[in-house]
Amino acid sequence: MNFDWWTLALQTINVVVLLWILARFLFRPVARIISERQDAAHAALDAAQAAQAEARAARDAARAEAETIQQQHAEQLAQARAEAEREKKRLLADTQTALEKTRAETRAELDQMRQAEAQDMARQAGALAIDMAGRLLARLPESARIGGFIEGLAEAVAALPETVRSSMGEAGPLSLRAARAPTEEETARIRARLSEVLGREVEIAVTPDTDLIAGLELDAPTAIVRNHFRADFERIREELAADE
Amino acid sequence: MDNPLSLAPLFHLGPVPITAPVVVTWGLIAVLSLFALVSTRKLSLRPGKTQTVLELFVSTIDAQVRETMNREPAPFRPLVGTIFLFVLVANWSSLIPGVEPPTAHLETDAALALVVFAATIGFGIATRGIKGYLATFAEPSWVMIPLNIVEQITRTFSLIVRLFGNIMSGVFVVGIILSLAGLFVPIPLMALDLLTGAVQAYIFAVLATVFIGAAVGDAPRPERPKKEDTVP
Repeated sequence: MNFDWWTLALQTINVVVLLWILARFLFRPVARIISERQDAAHAALDAAQAAQAEARAARDAARAEAETIQQQHAEQLAQARAEAEREKKRLLADTQTALEKTRAETRAELDQMRQAEAQDMARQAGALAIDMAGRLLARLPESARIGGFIEGLAEAVAALPETVRSSMGEAGPLSLRAARAPTEEETARIRARLSEVLGREVEIAVTPDTDLIAGLELDAPTAIVRNHFRADFERIREELAADE
Repeated sequence: MDNPLSLAPLFHLGPVPITAPVVVTWGLIAVLSLFALVSTRKLSLRPGKTQTVLELFVSTIDAQVRETMNREPAPFRPLVGTIFLFVLVANWSSLIPGVEPPTAHLETDAALALVVFAATIGFGIATRGIKGYLATFAEPSWVMIPLNIVEQITRTFSLIVRLFGNIMSGVFVVGIILSLAGLFVPIPLMALDLLTGAVQAYIFAVLATVFIGAAVGDAPRPERPKKEDTVP
């Protein structure tokens, strides 16, 4: 066995050359492409993480916006409720006012109707009373329709002021209405009594008027003296109406 | 019969005798270079089958270097990878009829071991400096200096002899059986040689990594951030 130093030297050179070739054309490109892939993977991972962070930020922003919208919605709802409440109260108040007004009007109208009805009833009652009085008076003697009222008429004339009394009967006979045509005796009693209270002789002109029912009515230029049932009924009815 | 361990020059280039292992090595260099050029011509981020195998090969070497040396594998990747590829291809070249693997000759194994020896010293000095590298011979004590120097030499020789013995014996056995038994009888032994060749390539590359790793030492650990003094 011998050792060839030339071969050793050549093989050493060969190994070094092969080392350079493989380092240059095999290991470096492959290592570079592995590194590039790792960089690309890291870049993709970073991009994915960035996208994830961006998505999280967008999600948080959307959530915050949704909360803001929800809050605004709640505020608007509360405002709308408050406004509706105010409107409801206003409508209720308006309705209450209108109701009160309508009620007052109805009440006034009812009062008017009741008053009119009462007046009508009073009128009917008056008419009934007049009718009843007329019928009752029909049972009394005819003299009662005038004779019982002469004294009252004379007292009423006597109660008149002096200036009025002094002017009565100056211009002519005193106009007198009676429930029926008086007899001559009754006419004489009336003239005598009036002359007595007036303090001078007066003439009278009597006109029958059945509307008076019973009694007399003196119609002077300055005064009217009523002493008959018609006037009494009218006065009583007015007093009743005033009481109601 | 000629001594199978002796080398007869095939031809001369001037005063330089060119032997068969050199010629076969040139052929292997050509094949590996062509393979490197062709396979790395269209590298892309979406790898094909060939690129996947290449990346797996490089990643495995990187993982082996990182695990053995506890350092970034980039500076050591070409040497370890070239040694593994060359030894593997050289060992398997015995499958080609009429070709004798270069690693079956002592000169080729010595050349490989010489490159590893030089790389060990080079990486050691580059990493530690001359003084630092020489100081490693005195570890753990100056008494160990002679032993460490002897170890440097003997382990290089062990690299040579291990690879030479395994490959040469396989070639011899196959040749003897072929001459005695017939054409197809040594096929199982040739298959065994394939396994032996792969294992020897792996052992040679791993031992080279271990030697270089011992020379460069462990990577300095990253310093922990100092805690700031706080005044209560």
